[in-house]
Amino acid sequence: MSEMSVSVSAPTVHPGSQPLPEAPPKVTARNLNFYYGEHHALKNINLTLGTNRVTAFIGPSGCGKSTLLRIFNRMYDLYPGQRASGQLMLDQTNILDPRLDLNLLRARVGMVFQKPTPFPMTIYENIAFGIRLYEKISKSEMDDRVEKALRGGALWNEVKDKLNASGLSLSGGQQQRLCIARTVAVRPEVILFDEPCSALDPISTAKVEELIQELSENYTIAIVTHNMQQAARVSDKTAFMYLGELIEFDDTSKIFTSPTDRRTQDYITGRFG
Amino acid sequence: MAVQSDIIDGAGPYDRAKALSAFKLGDVTFYWITRLSAISVLLILGGIIISLIVGAFPAMREYGLSFLWTQRWAPSADPPVLGALGPMYGTLVTSFIAMLIAIPVGLGIAIFLTELCPQWLRRPIGMAIELLAGIPSIIYGMWGFFVLGPFLANTFQPFMIKVFDGVPVLGAIFAGPPSYLSTFNAALILAIMVLPFITSISVDVFKTVPPVLKEAAYGVGCTTWEVVRSVVIPYTRVGIIGGVMLALGRALGETMAVTFIIGNSFRISSSIFAPGTTISAAIASEFAESDGLHQSGLILLGLLLFVLTFFVLAAARLMLMRLDKKAGN
Repeated sequence: MSEMSVSVSAPTVHPGSQPLPEAPPKVTARNLNFYYGEHHALKNINLTLGTNRVTAFIGPSGCGKSTLLRIFNRMYDLYPGQRASGQLMLDQTNILDPRLDLNLLRARVGMVFQKPTPFPMTIYENIAFGIRLYEKISKSEMDDRVEKALRGGALWNEVKDKLNASGLSLSGGQQQRLCIARTVAVRPEVILFDEPCSALDPISTAKVEELIQELSENYTIAIVTHNMQQAARVSDKTAFMYLGELIEFDDTSKIFTSPTDRRTQDYITGRFG
Repeated sequence: MAVQSDIIDGAGPYDRAKALSAFKLGDVTFYWITRLSAISVLLILGGIIISLIVGAFPAMREYGLSFLWTQRWAPSADPPVLGALGPMYGTLVTSFIAMLIAIPVGLGIAIFLTELCPQWLRRPIGMAIELLAGIPSIIYGMWGFFVLGPFLANTFQPFMIKVFDGVPVLGAIFAGPPSYLSTFNAALILAIMVLPFITSISVDVFKTVPPVLKEAAYGVGCTTWEVVRSVVIPYTRVGIIGGVMLALGRALGETMAVTFIIGNSFRISSSIFAPGTTISAAIASEFAESDGLHQSGLILLGLLLFVLTFFVLAAARLMLMRLDKKAGN
């Protein structure tokens, strides 16, 4: 819990993340509930992810923030016994619709995981692979797209001379940016980050955070993090979750300077969690 | 910690040295026992090779390299004419066809078991696979002789012969007449026999794929098939090839079941529905009543199988290294 030791006082909010005007909703949850078998993991979640905004989810381990993220792209569907109820809309699409094409949903809602997950193939193929699932394009177009994606992942300059090296040969931070580039390559509308920096060193973390800021110009972003400074630095809105409930959801500057709920106050000042 | 310091306090430096020297003896003994165990493997291997060479020497001197490309096998002729081409061809062809069938089926079962199978069905299928591996090969031989052979000769073989009649190449491979005892029947039995190896090893290595890697693949929108093809199989290919090599090793050397159903004919036929023989089947069916040059020829066949297996496994290793290079490692 090293990130906790620094947050004796509430973290300072990045000057760039002054409250922005309300954005049109991209993802809307209404009375969203989630169950792991019998266990009621998320209780009546109501919230909205604004278009091209960064929304951070904070809260102690086991509060359900990762679970919530995994509903947005129906990742929970892979595991029997997990189910969601309520309403969850991506624009006009009902994400919870059992007849929904999950492959198309996941093309619209990309995900970056806690640990870097490069596929066992070359750097080039790691990017091209996702694109090929949806588009049939020529080799030269593909080269362009791969370059664009790698630039988008702030990785191009480091790997342009070794595109045929294995994705696994990169460092942890580079691997994570490769995964971000891979996600961006598919041209999603929403990108979910599940503790993207928890396995990275501070310099790589800074790079990824910078990247998230840049990506927010074109994508709607949801990020789960244990690091409150990170939430304060990168996000426009912050949701504080506790024991499966959404306790407080507001502008990041408001959450970190004058939270309404006592529990939020206690958590961001490091009194528990 | 307290116990240890008691011992040290209670004993002088001399006692401690004595105690250590007792341990030392144990250590040396342990070292030599493990070392001898390891060396014994080399000794046994070397002994087998040497006795094979000694036993095969009369035949080597008599036939020389022409043994490798002579098809005729006439041990009762005077002087006996012996050639290994038929059994070598049979060994390679049966193993090849067996792998052609067993690899896709075995991998298919493994993929189904790890990725698609509902939980309640997993154990029964897994146990059935284990049991398949436990059936003695003589049982496979009998079953192939009394059940599978007649069945294939009456249904599958006539069908294939009719379908490919007149087609170039394929027509020659699937040529009549149908036979209870054939290279294809033996290969099919071999495929069933090696299936458990491929499946159980593949299942084990598929389970080593980190769930988050699969989630990431699903996360970019892959279907289950795409996840398996592009992530699971590449991630585990070393393990899969290991399983395939193990299976191939068994297929090349399998004796009893094959001897029952391959027909033991030394003539090479282009048709896989014709009888044939393998090296191990030839040795098993003739060794008991052989002597002199004939016996030496059979031992030479054994030596050839040894070399053949070695080369096949070496080729598999080489392939593996190539694959690694292509993947950029």
